[in-house]
Amino acid sequence: MLIAFIFLASMTLISALAVVLSRNVVHSALFMSGSFLGVAGFFVMLNAPALAAFQVLIYVGAVTVVILFGIMFTQRPQVRRFRLIINRQMWSGLFVALGVGAFLAYILSIQDWVGTSPGYGPRETAELGEILLGLNGAPEIFSLLFEVISVLLLVAVVAAIVVSRRKTGEGIDRGVEE
Amino acid sequence: MGTVLQYLDQEPFRFLLSVGAILFLVLNLAAVFTMAERKTSAYIQLRYGPNRVGPRGLLQPAADVFKLFSKENLSPSRADLWIFLGAPIAMFIPAALVWLVVPFAPNAVIADLNVAIVFFIAVTSIGALGLIMAGYGSRSTFSLLGAMRGAAQMISYEVPLILSLLGVIMLSGSLSLVDVVNAQGGGFWHWYFLPQLPMFIVFYIAGIAEARRVPFDLPEGESEIVGGFMVEYSGMTWGLIQAAEFASMGLISAITATLFLGGWQPPIEALDFGNFNWIWFGLKTALLVFTFQWIRWSLPRLRMDQLMDFGWKILVPICLIWLFVTAGLMLLFPSVF
Repeated sequence: MLIAFIFLASMTLISALAVVLSRNVVHSALFMSGSFLGVAGFFVMLNAPALAAFQVLIYVGAVTVVILFGIMFTQRPQVRRFRLIINRQMWSGLFVALGVGAFLAYILSIQDWVGTSPGYGPRETAELGEILLGLNGAPEIFSLLFEVISVLLLVAVVAAIVVSRRKTGEGIDRGVEE
Repeated sequence: MGTVLQYLDQEPFRFLLSVGAILFLVLNLAAVFTMAERKTSAYIQLRYGPNRVGPRGLLQPAADVFKLFSKENLSPSRADLWIFLGAPIAMFIPAALVWLVVPFAPNAVIADLNVAIVFFIAVTSIGALGLIMAGYGSRSTFSLLGAMRGAAQMISYEVPLILSLLGVIMLSGSLSLVDVVNAQGGGFWHWYFLPQLPMFIVFYIAGIAEARRVPFDLPEGESEIVGGFMVEYSGMTWGLIQAAEFASMGLISAITATLFLGGWQPPIEALDFGNFNWIWFGLKTALLVFTFQWIRWSLPRLRMDQLMDFGWKILVPICLIWLFVTAGLMLLFPSVF
């Protein structure tokens, strides 16, 4: 158990570090998927396979792929080195990093970290779903939040369609533009 | 002997043995499917196909593998080497890992996950990552074009693939493949392909698109972009990509058979072979694989805009409509379901 934990932790942390240090955007995105996979491994260790599956589905399968897709559409493969941008934002980046670090240190100090063994949360997907809908004694505010999230996603989908819609009269464009 | 078996049943060894068995199965499956593909194409085109190595050419895969291993692994000089070499692995591992949750026979499943269907969707979605890695790592325009097409196609067809599973999940009330198979017992009229016929067809089509086979093989498109994302690969790295493609074809067939055709359940009760019911699972999977090959050698390739229109404007609405029909019927006649 401890060996698996150390393996996953080092995989997550080293990939996360590589995301920041890598000079190539595509490499950063791929390292990010490694970090996400490590987090999914933690969910498996905590006896929450459903969370792990959704982590892989959403973060590795969707977010990383869409990021890579965006990189490839907007930048040419040769000119993906962007050292300048990093240097220009160094002070604000340092400020944000210090803030996050202080917050994490605070959480780390007030929590009681017993070990790597899993807790006693809901295991079954059906149970998780019922809690999300505010059934079976779960706070009813959860169902409201659930609905708010679905409305938010709907708005995002409609907005994407509006943004990407072709105006009438424009020619049909089937190719990838250089 | 008994003690050795008990020792091997302990946790780390059990998992390692299972993964080894799965890798053995998948690699052999890829070889057998290559052979089947060549023979099927040959008979469809009225020729013999490979018929020199072994009886009726049946040992051809062994010769192929030997040839691939003896070839040099070339890589373009400007390639991003780690990504270039990692891509075949990133394509093969997901295609092989999903076999862990497929129930082969009663009690013959390596990991009976209670979220097996989500696991299947999640792990197959990593395949798009391998595709992009192959396209980017090669630093070749053909590869990049193929990878872009492939990623767009896999993202688009993931939507109908997931939506078409929802009907089965609602009917069986479980995300576990073992429960889904158990719920389809008692003759072929209990299999889910009858009440979920539109979903079955959509899943089958989206499955072909996920396995990137004709008529959805735009990422390869050998007549337009000469092989797409795998144009720069050679030797065993190319072999691994091929193995991944054939493994994912077998996987899609196996999952279709499990979800819609009753898995290892015999078509009528009288033909129940007990532990030997894997024969039924194998037969169904082989039949589906044959239809995949039949389609491949009979249909032309879609155009990119046709592909997107077909996915978003036909398959997704069919899924949504049938989802509402299923939900409505389940509410109206709760005693039947």
